[in-house]
Amino acid sequence: MLDQIVLTREQQPVKESIDSRTIAACQQGDRAALRVLFEEYKDRVYSIAMYSMSGDEMAAADVTQQVFLKLMTRINQFRGDSEFATWLYRLVINTCHDEHRKQRRFVSLADSFLQTQASGESPPARYARKELSGRVQSAIAELKPKLRWPILLKYVDGLSYEEIAAVLGCSKGTVASRLNRAHKALGRRLGHLKDQF
Amino acid sequence: MFGNHVSSLSAAYFDGQLTPAESNRVAEHLLVCTRCRAEFDAVKSGIGIANQIEIVPAPDDLWSGIAARLDQPNTKPRLWFLKPVAVALAVVLVVGIALWLQPARSAEGQWRVASLGGAPRINSQAIGESSKIGIGQLLETDATSRAQIDVATIGRVEIDPNSRVRLLETNPEEHRLELERGSLSAVISAPPRLFFVNTPSGVAEDLGCAYTLDVDDDGNTVLHVTLGWVALQLMDRESAVPAGAACAMKRGFGPGTPYYEDATQSFRSALATFDFAPNANEKSAALTTVLGEARPRDAMTLWYLLLRSERSERASVYDRMAALVTPPQDVTRAGVLDLDPQMLERWKVKLSIRSDVLPKKEKPRSFWSKVWTETIGRIHGLARKRQH
Repeated sequence: MLDQIVLTREQQPVKESIDSRTIAACQQGDRAALRVLFEEYKDRVYSIAMYSMSGDEMAAADVTQQVFLKLMTRINQFRGDSEFATWLYRLVINTCHDEHRKQRRFVSLADSFLQTQASGESPPARYARKELSGRVQSAIAELKPKLRWPILLKYVDGLSYEEIAAVLGCSKGTVASRLNRAHKALGRRLGHLKDQF
Repeated sequence: MFGNHVSSLSAAYFDGQLTPAESNRVAEHLLVCTRCRAEFDAVKSGIGIANQIEIVPAPDDLWSGIAARLDQPNTKPRLWFLKPVAVALAVVLVVGIALWLQPARSAEGQWRVASLGGAPRINSQAIGESSKIGIGQLLETDATSRAQIDVATIGRVEIDPNSRVRLLETNPEEHRLELERGSLSAVISAPPRLFFVNTPSGVAEDLGCAYTLDVDDDGNTVLHVTLGWVALQLMDRESAVPAGAACAMKRGFGPGTPYYEDATQSFRSALATFDFAPNANEKSAALTTVLGEARPRDAMTLWYLLLRSERSERASVYDRMAALVTPPQDVTRAGVLDLDPQMLERWKVKLSIRSDVLPKKEKPRSFWSKVWTETIGRIHGLARKRQH
């Protein structure tokens, strides 16, 4: 029974595909190199921001822009001691934290619908899918940050426990513990919807 | 087996992060432990939910927005130096203000002390002709030394030989000394209840006056008022003492009954017995003596005795008072015996007892008074605790 768990989504960790020359060019202020980095990471950065900002598309877009603008000004601080993705995700997390602090004063009225790329879906099916995605977004956004980031790093970019630990600056055991707690919280929050997955 | 629950390993188990041995242990445990299996199922559901997380394509116009901002005149970097400069200026400003205020605050928190003879000491350090005492510091005089303290700008206190005085508080709303032992004379020109002296047996509250306080080695206190009024207080017991009168306070008991110092010796001795003797028969006999010795001027003392005597004795107190000072109109014997507040108040006014002192329970007390009097009231003569 227990060994028959089938994950519903294939996890294919994204390998580092940015070479050092691109980074070096970016460090020289080469905008074309920045564009390469942007194209490589924009969707993952935007997705993390989207889930972190409760599905607020405008906030997610703003965070993504901020991340790449910061990247341009701070890329010289990247020494190659870690994977570029590790460095970038720290930037993403910090930027999301900043945005959360800014938005604390406001009530987010953003809708929680997610852009779906499913084609050929009937309107009712698309609606149901959007609703479900919105609930997942909300549940993830409501996790404590220390539980939310491991989940997003794992499921958006497929980072390993070791990579997540490197981004968050904690041990692999801590990552395992936080992921366990995060999954349990999500399961208890939305477990009743599992038949819809 | 159940001592090693595995629910915390559920996610790692799913993700293949465990060693084969750990995985086997988890699997075997889940077969027999319903609690861990329930937790495991919750994690499993969570994993199913997390797998719904999708990569959301970023809007197409994001790059154009980034490029536009990169093309903007780069004003911020040119002003990068302003941030640390602003921070530095703020730090300098704060430090400067703190340094500027520091001397003033120190001066405000210290009182000037002058030697009036001998070698007074502050915190065991001999002082010269003049020095300063700060909050928490102890001024001591030996058998041959005396000192004078300037109480901020509101008066002065002379410390007699063999005394120990500590400055507890000084601020615009309250100036407070502690007289642990010995004697002091205070002359205060300030609004009432601004200057206080804590003693082991209660608190002396200045009501605009001059007075002396003597504290013996047992912590018992005697107050002599030479000008104005002083209130003595311990918990809910309070005595307002007018000029020309004195009042004793006993450690663990609080203030006794005020009396004019020109009262007869037997009156004063009997009053002390009535106030502090534990034996009821002694008290009763003492009351008889007090009433017999009382003069019209001593009606002030008898007014307090109305409040502090048993009901069976109160009638004799009332009768003696009424014989010495005619009761005000509308003050009846029955009402007084029932301690009617309005009647007591009328009689008190006629006797010119400070109406801002009593009744005690309705009168707000300062924080320090409350802490001090209630604390020493509770310990009843045991080791004193500083209120600092």
